[in-house]
Amino acid sequence: MTDSGFAVRLEGVTKRFGKHTAVSDFDFEVPRGMICGLLGPNGSGKTTSIRMIMGILHPDEGRVSLFGSDPDVTRRTKVGYLPEERGLYKKMKVLELLVFLAEIRGVGRAEGRKRASDWLERLGLTAWADKRAEDLSKGMQQKVQFIGTVLHEPELLILDEPFSGLDPINQDVLEGIVRDYHAKGTTILFSTHLMHQAERLCERVCLISNSKKVLDADLKQLKAAERKGVIAVEFEGPDTWIQGPEVDHVGEVNGTLHLMLREGADHQAILARGVQSEARILRFDLVEPTLHEIFVRHAGHDAVGDAGVPLAASAGRS
Amino acid sequence: MWHNVWAVIRREYLQRVRSKWFIGVTIAAPIIMIAMIVVPIFLSARGNESDQDLLIVDGSDVLYERLVSDFEASGYSVAEERWRVGVVTDLRQQLSDGDIGGFLVLDQLTLETGEAILYMNDRPSTVRRLALRSAIARAALEYQLEVQGLDASAMLAGGELRIEMLTDEGADKDDPQFFVAYMGTMFLYMVILIYAVSVMRATLEEKTSRIVEVIISSMKPWHLMLGKIIGVGAVSLTQMVVWLCMGVLGVGAGVPMLIAARPELVSLENVVQVLPGLVLVLLFVGFFLFGFFIYSGLYAAVGAMCSTDEEAQQAQAPVMMFLIVPILFVMQAIQDPLAPLVTGLSLFPLFSPVLMWARVAGGGVPGWQVGLSFLLMGATVLGVAWLAGRIYKVGILMAGKRPSLPELWRWVKEA
Repeated sequence: MTDSGFAVRLEGVTKRFGKHTAVSDFDFEVPRGMICGLLGPNGSGKTTSIRMIMGILHPDEGRVSLFGSDPDVTRRTKVGYLPEERGLYKKMKVLELLVFLAEIRGVGRAEGRKRASDWLERLGLTAWADKRAEDLSKGMQQKVQFIGTVLHEPELLILDEPFSGLDPINQDVLEGIVRDYHAKGTTILFSTHLMHQAERLCERVCLISNSKKVLDADLKQLKAAERKGVIAVEFEGPDTWIQGPEVDHVGEVNGTLHLMLREGADHQAILARGVQSEARILRFDLVEPTLHEIFVRHAGHDAVGDAGVPLAASAGRS
Repeated sequence: MWHNVWAVIRREYLQRVRSKWFIGVTIAAPIIMIAMIVVPIFLSARGNESDQDLLIVDGSDVLYERLVSDFEASGYSVAEERWRVGVVTDLRQQLSDGDIGGFLVLDQLTLETGEAILYMNDRPSTVRRLALRSAIARAALEYQLEVQGLDASAMLAGGELRIEMLTDEGADKDDPQFFVAYMGTMFLYMVILIYAVSVMRATLEEKTSRIVEVIISSMKPWHLMLGKIIGVGAVSLTQMVVWLCMGVLGVGAGVPMLIAARPELVSLENVVQVLPGLVLVLLFVGFFLFGFFIYSGLYAAVGAMCSTDEEAQQAQAPVMMFLIVPILFVMQAIQDPLAPLVTGLSLFPLFSPVLMWARVAGGGVPGWQVGLSFLLMGATVLGVAWLAGRIYKVGILMAGKRPSLPELWRWVKEA
């Protein structure tokens, strides 16, 4: 793929704040038209990376390019950015505020007004167009912030934790809009710490943990490759047989226990132990791992901000 | 990219100018100021006792003619009542019946000692009492001197002190010119401070409302800062133009009213002296603009390095010192504009906006000093813009504790 085939490209990017290294030697690409998730626990370097892509921070080492060229040229008009730290001018009327946000991204005032009105209507906020931003509920403010991000019809959307703070209904609304943009060919990069969200939306995922990239792959391929690693089990009776040298970690997904195996371990050994025990096995199934499980496997529990499910607590439910 | 700066200016300007607060202050401030000056003059002149009837029983036969005009100026309609036996008893009766407003009895003793008796139902105001008393005493004295063959009217009217100065030495404390210079300097200090602090607050608001990152992703921090400063500056200029217009209207309408109320206060010479020269007004705007650009830059940097109002209150103290120090020298600057100390201080660009104008208002400052101060201030504006722009750029996205001085210096170097 040629360089310009990527909407975003980071090469060996490092950023330090004093003695703390926030992002370390980060290589990362988002192909055009792809919807890509940047995952990792709080403090792992997601926001710093995004800020460098947006040119708000400058990398100490390495290079950032957008659409194959110097980011400063393309950033303002081609990229829509919803920061994690987001707000509105509280005293400003919603419509005027949106026109202003469009204006600083190169959309004329008349055109900006038209687009903003359309968006307000689409999201059911028309009645609020002339209200001050501070009079809106938090959810409505978030919608307005999102409208402000897309008014200039960007080719690349960068959304930092776009779903945080939204109720489930509005999360669905936003998810729908993101899918629409994806369908139109817009490249989307978003960060989240919610694995299930990423799993639903992303074609490609990148996990960073402790300032380093842990994993960067196509989601479908990743899942297929990891398939042999996770066993779903259901049983009655004692649970001692599921513990053993082969099992790295036990988790729970929708009420079913998932055993994650160590690299190269043989699941037959576990099954043999189960048959010999007093437990009655109802299910023993090689399953497609969840994204969460894949990350736990690659980065450890700490990396995904998850302590796993203690065995004693989960066994009773099986 | 200038398109962006323009968008910021436009937003900042319209948001502020449309606010009720701005409209209220712009209209109310001069009205209050004018009222504070004019109302007491009117009250003391007229009061609620205006145009009272007063009968004068002139037992001296010579004082009535001399008193009529003075009494009328104080708001009485006077009429003469002939002296006769029992007149006082009669008039007292009429007064208690409410038929007349009051009466004044003058007699031979008045001619000798200035003593007279005023009969009234309500006690007249102090101002009016003093006016009547001095009018009577003056009339009596005038009569006595005339009897001696002297015309003392000019002397009694207060005499005249002609002043011929060999050098242009500046204003005296009781001079109207001093008053104008002092008030003007204080006003200049206040508008610079108020508008520079507005820039700080606007910056802080962008940080605390967390919209700044959205904006910064679309434009350079430097452009945002510039737009904010120009926007707020345009607001301040608008306010000044409105005030200036109101001032012109106020003087145009107020002076004739003042003349009507207190003719003895207003001579044409006084008015000309009180009205600041056009040059002074233009310099006021000039010093304001340079002062505003210097201090708003500094205040923008302060706003950018803080995260809360409380923090900003503390952090602005060192900047504010530079505005307050010249205030300590304002008196001297006006009274003795050519003294070496104030001359030196007024050329220091951070002090110039307040102190140099005070000196110019005091009078006699050579033009080259004013020019030099503008040059130095211009250079300072650029320096501050460079420094503040760098602090702003780093600070605007920082959260948490405000930086120490060494950290601040690192920001400036790294930005």
